[in-house]
Amino acid sequence: MAAADQPLADLDERALVDACLANQPGAFDLIVERHRRSVYQLCYRFVGNHEDASDLSQDVFIRAFRGLRRFRGQSSIATWLYRIGVNVCLNRVSAKSTLGKLTEPIHDRQFVDAGAESASDRILKEERAAHVRAAIAQLPPTQRATLILRMYHEMSHQEIASILGSSVGAVKANFFHALANLKKLLGEGI
Amino acid sequence: MPEDGTRTMHLKDDELVDLAEGARPESSAPHLASCEQCRRQVRDLRAMMSVAADVEAPEPSPLYWDHLSARVREAVATEAAARRPWLDEAAWRRVLMPAWAAVVASIIIVVALSSRLMAPPPSPAPPAAAVVKDTEVIDLWNGPAADDDESLTLVASLSAGLDLEAAGEAGLAAGGSAEHAVTHMDDDDLRELRRLLTQELAPSGA
Repeated sequence: MAAADQPLADLDERALVDACLANQPGAFDLIVERHRRSVYQLCYRFVGNHEDASDLSQDVFIRAFRGLRRFRGQSSIATWLYRIGVNVCLNRVSAKSTLGKLTEPIHDRQFVDAGAESASDRILKEERAAHVRAAIAQLPPTQRATLILRMYHEMSHQEIASILGSSVGAVKANFFHALANLKKLLGEGI
Repeated sequence: MPEDGTRTMHLKDDELVDLAEGARPESSAPHLASCEQCRRQVRDLRAMMSVAADVEAPEPSPLYWDHLSARVREAVATEAAARRPWLDEAAWRRVLMPAWAAVVASIIIVVALSSRLMAPPPSPAPPAAAVVKDTEVIDLWNGPAADDDESLTLVASLSAGLDLEAAGEAGLAAGGSAEHAVTHMDDDDLRELRRLLTQELAPSGA
């Protein structure tokens, strides 16, 4: 069956990108739908607040749309989007400080399954998580990117090196310093 | 520094990371057994990895994802609409063809007029048989003069591929253009042009 006759959901990544380039309705929507959550989480962990993460996520997908012709399929769409996402986030954090928004009230934005744990446990856990997120958001940008990709997106050091345009040794060194700095930022409170 | 004077070589950052992540066994780093500093660093790395791993990103409302998709869809549609005329190959052709036609047509007109106006003065008395009556139509392209006149040959070759319709679309006949000047001559101008053409063609035996 020709790619054009197949349902979009059945297409492999290369064919899906080709469908986008052919202006096939719904093709790019499907890419967004599949990757919006991980892109949003990457951005959120970088900037630490919902509004900026939302704007950055949109920016990532628009840049991806503009760059579709340059996608050669040498990496997965997810890795390609992470690369765009990291660049967008690094540009943002170098352009303005986001520290002022890091104290965003968690319950304003977070969808919580209230029945899963007691209210006090949940509050304690969230306070602790907010403390750690704030500390991560204060790391130098490259260390932050390395830690986020390694810890939360389960990327290998090699993949991170490819995304950041550095060597595996440099990625491991950045990861080491990110964890060491995280310890200093959290102090004895964790 | 150890008593024997040798410098202690601690594990490097990437080696500590590999050990903390379990990418290599501790048995592969004999130094670890004898160095409390390196052992502590490995412990600290593992502790921070555990702390970080426990932190989930806040999950927005389930409705948010559709909202994000809609925002992206709208932004992409706006982007696509804005860039399409410049990226579409057919659109480029539509833009460039009339422009190309305009350039070629301008060259033709300039060459034609300059070759006539810059021509050497006519011989004083053309033979009576060569005088062309006002009512006769001169076929510049197919007449005998065309074979001998290099400028007409040049004009003919330049205009061979010219799409006159495209030239028209390009606004070639707008006021002030060369074509406008030629097609809007008054009677005196036309008479003078005809006289010049007649003189030019007469010596070649037309």
